[in-house]
Amino acid sequence: MNAVLMFARRVWAFVVRDWRLELSYRMQFFLRVLSILIVVTTLFFISKIFTGFTDPRFAQWRDPLAAWLTGLAVLNYFMTGFSSLANAIRQEQMQGTLESVLMTPISVPTVIVASSAWDFVQATFFSFLYIFFGWLFFNVHYRGSFLLALAFLVLTTLVLACLGILSASFAMVFKRGDPFGVFLGTGAALFSGVFFPTQLVSEYAGHGIALVSRILPPTYGLDGIRRVLIEGQGVAEVRGPLLTLLGFLVVLLPFSLWVFKRAVRRAKRDGSLIQY
Amino acid sequence: MSTAVSDLLATPGDPEIAVSIQNLCKTYPVSFARLKRFLRRNFKSPVEALRNISFEVHDGEIFGLIGPNGAGKTTLVKTVATLIQPTNGFVTVHGYDSVRDDEQVRRIVGLAGAEERSFYWRLTAMQNLMFFARLYGLGGRAGKEKIDKLFDLFELKELAQRRFAELSTGNKQRLSIARAMLADPPVLLLDEPTRSLDPIAAARMREVIKALTHDRRVTVFLTSHNLSEVEELCNRVAIISKGQVQALDSPQRLRPTHTPTENISIIFSAGAADKIEEDLRSAFTDHFLTLGRADLQDEWTIKFSRARGDDALDKVLKVLQQAGAVIQGVEIERASLFDVLESYEQTEKTTEAQS
Repeated sequence: MNAVLMFARRVWAFVVRDWRLELSYRMQFFLRVLSILIVVTTLFFISKIFTGFTDPRFAQWRDPLAAWLTGLAVLNYFMTGFSSLANAIRQEQMQGTLESVLMTPISVPTVIVASSAWDFVQATFFSFLYIFFGWLFFNVHYRGSFLLALAFLVLTTLVLACLGILSASFAMVFKRGDPFGVFLGTGAALFSGVFFPTQLVSEYAGHGIALVSRILPPTYGLDGIRRVLIEGQGVAEVRGPLLTLLGFLVVLLPFSLWVFKRAVRRAKRDGSLIQY
Repeated sequence: MSTAVSDLLATPGDPEIAVSIQNLCKTYPVSFARLKRFLRRNFKSPVEALRNISFEVHDGEIFGLIGPNGAGKTTLVKTVATLIQPTNGFVTVHGYDSVRDDEQVRRIVGLAGAEERSFYWRLTAMQNLMFFARLYGLGGRAGKEKIDKLFDLFELKELAQRRFAELSTGNKQRLSIARAMLADPPVLLLDEPTRSLDPIAAARMREVIKALTHDRRVTVFLTSHNLSEVEELCNRVAIISKGQVQALDSPQRLRPTHTPTENISIIFSAGAADKIEEDLRSAFTDHFLTLGRADLQDEWTIKFSRARGDDALDKVLKVLQQAGAVIQGVEIERASLFDVLESYEQTEKTTEAQS
């Protein structure tokens, strides 16, 4: 059978499975939609405090609500890229289903993509809700090329997915205590400019601390997306963050796949595939 | 069972050896052993689960693996299924190496484990099997048709739309075997296939297993604690203990090799049983005989044991006939696999005690 069709069929199998599992917990879905609406509304009122007080140095923050909503929507997507595989592996280990999945003739890259597929579908929907609620209820408008913003989104998500693969490798072998999660989960919100401009970190905490922002891929992703959607910049102007993200991807993708393969082999050697 | 097994399975390949296990060793390593040694911390020694195991399973054979808990049966089955990597030695399935060609091995091996947690509890039986069918490349109508046939074979049709969590333990087990057969694998690994089934369902399951090998030459590699089941089903049996194969042969040949005596009971009716007892005791000074009254009046039971193949039974019968007794029945209680296994465990305990 055509390999692409087989791959698509397997990814589809995971999406359908996770969709059905999600349906069995209907309330959770509605509560999450409601919580996004509440967050957007809260941010709208907070943004009103800053009306007319925006520092002219921070062009992306002239409308703080637009900057926050972009930050949250994108962060939600990035964190999915980063955490979905590790969560899926942990979940399968806890349920005891990892062995039965790995007993089928499914390759490691397929497991990686398929396990995360539903989370991305969900993240796309919930990220869209941040933007949609902002536009529908609070008159938030974006300009610039959505295609270019999408390219940033995909690229950053891929880079974070590589870190997610490393995180899943930890889950596979050590079961708990994943250092990437702590670093990226807390670090991205603080140092990547989700809630405030990254320049403030260097102004108030010094250049040493500001270096943390520079080694976090979400910083470049968020900066690029805001430059495109809020400032309306084109490809030539956002070349810097784009190339940096590409550099991250070229290094991290082969490395993370290699580590994950080794982690699966190690778990098989230890006989600990379904332990958690 | 309304669906014939032959309808369900495609013709597999036909090499002589289905599973080959050569010098297989599995030692579960201690995590961070080097670090612990460096820090001079005490740690448990590594567990040797399998020790230099070698045997072959022939194509179309039902091969049984028996042994006490912790003997290494599940480790061995999981190693064949590519879920555990050997420390040394290798396993091949129809010529494919379980480590190097693991994906290929998984295409031709179906595993029904004893682990209940291997399904998604909030999905229905049908949804669970559809998910796994898609992973095997069976989507849409082909997958649905295959699953319907399997539900029919395992009498699960009425439970198809029930959540897995709501199924009884026996039905969960049947679903697990149905899943193992989704891709028509030429090799089936069954870990205690009738463990939770009621006697009738267990008998039907045994019929299905027999039909699989008879009709389609599927190789079945099973573990079980039900020794009469192993005797009934298996062409050959390996007894495994402490990670080593202690014996491997057909059940018929294992029994006499390891338990060479058999118990005999003869029921007869006679007026003067005391006289008969006296005759027997004088004729058989080297055998221990017991004589007791049977359930009916004037019926007696004589019990003794003999070495297989000796002429003690003929002699006893001759004495009884000469004394005018009427033989009502003769029962020969041959050693079972249970006795064989027990004799191994006994030998093992004695060796341990001596060492």
